Amino acid sequence: MSQMSAQVVSGLRHWFSGRRRRRIRESANAYLFVLPAFAVIGMFGLFPLVFSVYVSLHRWRIIPGPYLGLENFVRAIDNLTYVVGLWLPILLVYLAVRTLLAIKQEAREHKDMPWLWAVPALVVAGGIYQFIIFAIRLLPEVLDIAEKVKGQQRTQQLFVSLLGEAWQEPAVQSARTTTLLILLLGAALAFGVGRLRLTGVRGSSYFARLVIVLLLIGTAAAIGWLTLTTIRGIYASAAETGDVVSIWPQILAISGGVVALIAVSVVSRRLGFPGRTTTLLSLGGGLLAIGLKFLVDTGNASVLDIALILGGVVLLFLSWRSWQEIQKRTSIGGVVGWLLASIAMMLGAWALIAELPRVIRAGYATWWEGLLNTVYYSMFTVPIQLFIGLFLAILLFQKIKAKGLFRLIYFLPYVTNPVAAAGIFRVLFSSRVNAPLNRLLDIFGVEPLMWLDQPKGIFQTLLPSLDLPQALSGPSLALIVICIYGIWSFAGYNTVVFLAGLGSIPTPLYEAAAIDGAGRWQQFRHVTLPLLSPTTYFLTLISVIGTFKAFSHIWVLRSGAALGTTDTASIVIFTEFNRNTRYGYASAMALILMGFILVLTLINNRIAEEKVFYG
Amino acid sequence: MASAKKAADVFSGSPVSVVGSRSRYVDVWIWFSYFVLVVGIIVAVTPFFWMISASLMTLGEATGRAILPATAQWDNYQQAWVIGKFSEYFFNSVQITAITIAGQVVFCTLAAYAFASMGFPAKNFLFALLLTTLMLPEAVTWVPNFITVTWLGRIGPIPWVNNWPALTIPFMASAFNIFLLRQFFSQMPPDLWDSAQIDGAGHLRYLLQIVLPISRAALVTVIIFGFVGAWNSLAWPMLVTNSDEWRPISAGLQHFLDEAGSYVHWQMAGAVITILPILVLYLVAQKQFTEGIATSGLKG
Repeated sequence: MSQMSAQVVSGLRHWFSGRRRRRIRESANAYLFVLPAFAVIGMFGLFPLVFSVYVSLHRWRIIPGPYLGLENFVRAIDNLTYVVGLWLPILLVYLAVRTLLAIKQEAREHKDMPWLWAVPALVVAGGIYQFIIFAIRLLPEVLDIAEKVKGQQRTQQLFVSLLGEAWQEPAVQSARTTTLLILLLGAALAFGVGRLRLTGVRGSSYFARLVIVLLLIGTAAAIGWLTLTTIRGIYASAAETGDVVSIWPQILAISGGVVALIAVSVVSRRLGFPGRTTTLLSLGGGLLAIGLKFLVDTGNASVLDIALILGGVVLLFLSWRSWQEIQKRTSIGGVVGWLLASIAMMLGAWALIAELPRVIRAGYATWWEGLLNTVYYSMFTVPIQLFIGLFLAILLFQKIKAKGLFRLIYFLPYVTNPVAAAGIFRVLFSSRVNAPLNRLLDIFGVEPLMWLDQPKGIFQTLLPSLDLPQALSGPSLALIVICIYGIWSFAGYNTVVFLAGLGSIPTPLYEAAAIDGAGRWQQFRHVTLPLLSPTTYFLTLISVIGTFKAFSHIWVLRSGAALGTTDTASIVIFTEFNRNTRYGYASAMALILMGFILVLTLINNRIAEEKVFYG
Repeated sequence: MASAKKAADVFSGSPVSVVGSRSRYVDVWIWFSYFVLVVGIIVAVTPFFWMISASLMTLGEATGRAILPATAQWDNYQQAWVIGKFSEYFFNSVQITAITIAGQVVFCTLAAYAFASMGFPAKNFLFALLLTTLMLPEAVTWVPNFITVTWLGRIGPIPWVNNWPALTIPFMASAFNIFLLRQFFSQMPPDLWDSAQIDGAGHLRYLLQIVLPISRAALVTVIIFGFVGAWNSLAWPMLVTNSDEWRPISAGLQHFLDEAGSYVHWQMAGAVITILPILVLYLVAQKQFTEGIATSGLKG
């Protein structure tokens, strides 16, 4: 017996010696190094994502309330929730299938047998789901500890004993045990399959990807199930009360629109973009759309509404295509023509899409307005600040004296404290008659303006004789002031980045172009712009995402008199959380905002793939 | 498109294109360029000029039609400092910033070093996990982190809300800093580590005595980011402070802007106090600012 144990010990010592021992020690060291950072980031960076999903599914006003399912999301974006809830699983399954095909491809190339890994992957994925169940059961118990210690002497012991109680809760305990067992089984199976070495060195990669595939499918199933049961519940309760609900038609219509959009995109890419005819057609379409918008009463014409929105989306897409067409043109006439077409189509699309909030009328109006304001803010700042930045950078990229000083000062508005800088703007653009900007207007004999206190849309202000509908009256003057602040503070940043981009374009290219007889415009058009496109792309992405996240300066410049016309998405979330203490609802809106930003990033990446030239 | 035309003409002034015989045209263009650039400077600087000017005015001048104060009222700063409680806000922010930066330097350096030059299982997975936090908008973290922080305060020995932990600990490690430092550490020549090992140094000693002194530039960037982030943040401090005891300066200024609605001269003095440290740092460490911040898109 003792001999055997000695053998085991020596065997272990042998196993744990030399390189392996060093490797294990290094791993242990590395984990110690990473641990503090991961404790912080895990708790305040990764966990919040999962936790906010949890919160968003509950009624949660300071203290956790009952489970609500998708209700918070439905309250924010109404039936669009179901559309997303049905398309998201499809997207996830698509990703899973793509991963599977990639595995198959790789396995064929290397003559591997990856499917053996499916067995441990299945078990491990099951273990992870069991872990999620365990976490969901444990979380409320742990959160409840804060309530339990209220009024008691707060000691380490009390906390530990309460935590122990939560840990020992029967439901928690059973979930914990099964999780542990399943994960252990999975690990053992994985180890076994690894030992068989039938799959070569890529085994662990196959294994990890298969687990991810299973997790994707499981998430898809969960979201799909949640959405479907919610819809079925609504139909069931409507049948009881005798109400008529039309969720399915709406889902079908909106999904149809998405499919149509993809179809148009694919077809037009395959066929190329035919020139003059399409321009005329889309120009006419844009004008027609604006006309229709004026004709359609605010009646309950839901089918027509949806058709209009679909038209708007298609127009928006065509407008984008013609925007691309501009960049291919070299003559001034061509550029102007395509620009006009693009703008007309964009306006038409806007007139149509702006109907979306009305269709989904039951959605929370403040939230829709917040998103609309965010879009306005983005549209009115990003292009202008990019243009000013590029222009100043090009001017600076010459033999200019004191170049460094110019750059230093241009960057200043960007690096200062946003609260202080916005505080200055708050005084400059105050509605008082003696406010600096109003005095400036006075010099030109213009009546003083309300600036930050003006909720009326600017198009409406500019065209007082027309009675414009809400969607067309444009952003409020107050929001425009915020846009001015945005441009003021970010233009210099763009200048500095563009300057760096210009510096990286090799000069021989210009010389070669000049020898080939290219004029200044052609040099700019065919050398500078394409070679600058990575910079432009980077700045567009950063700026658009930045406008969607913007908070500080908008919060400072926000005035009660502007009646919420300056409240962008982040502001709405903040007030809903901080002032109205609707935690669950605020979480749902924040997640929707995150989805928006994600989609924007993906679209931007997609465009970059096509347009950016990494010379 | 007139503006595009203008932009196109730019290269008549660029060193490359001055091959032709358009020197007069070039002259005019250069003068035009200077004109536009100076206008740009004026637009960029005027608000600051007005801030300083108004901070030295009397209340009557600040709300009246004056452009410059008749006599500089240096007292305003005294008033803002004491009555506006900017002294408190300022020192709160100094403490919060110092604690945050200290944490960031220690935690991020350790983690970045591990990711750069140590081998361990699941390294790539953990790094990818870290980078996903960069995608997260701040708004998503407000609710869950607030709940977490109140919970931690209730169960722990010290409260977190209205106290330094809530203001500093969540920001003590950032994926971005780790990423930045890792890039820097990966460029260390491997020979260094080999010779350090021969001299009997372990990872920690190698990191402290060799890697860090070489990486001063990267550390300065991390410190600047930490400073700007902590000094300028508004949303989170507003959520977790409701008294002046720990309110940092940006939230304090916002509070003062709301409370002292009509005292424009004091508000502007407060704005100057808030801006000054950032400004000084910017002038001192210009290079790190323009290079570091410009290429990273910090601040959104």
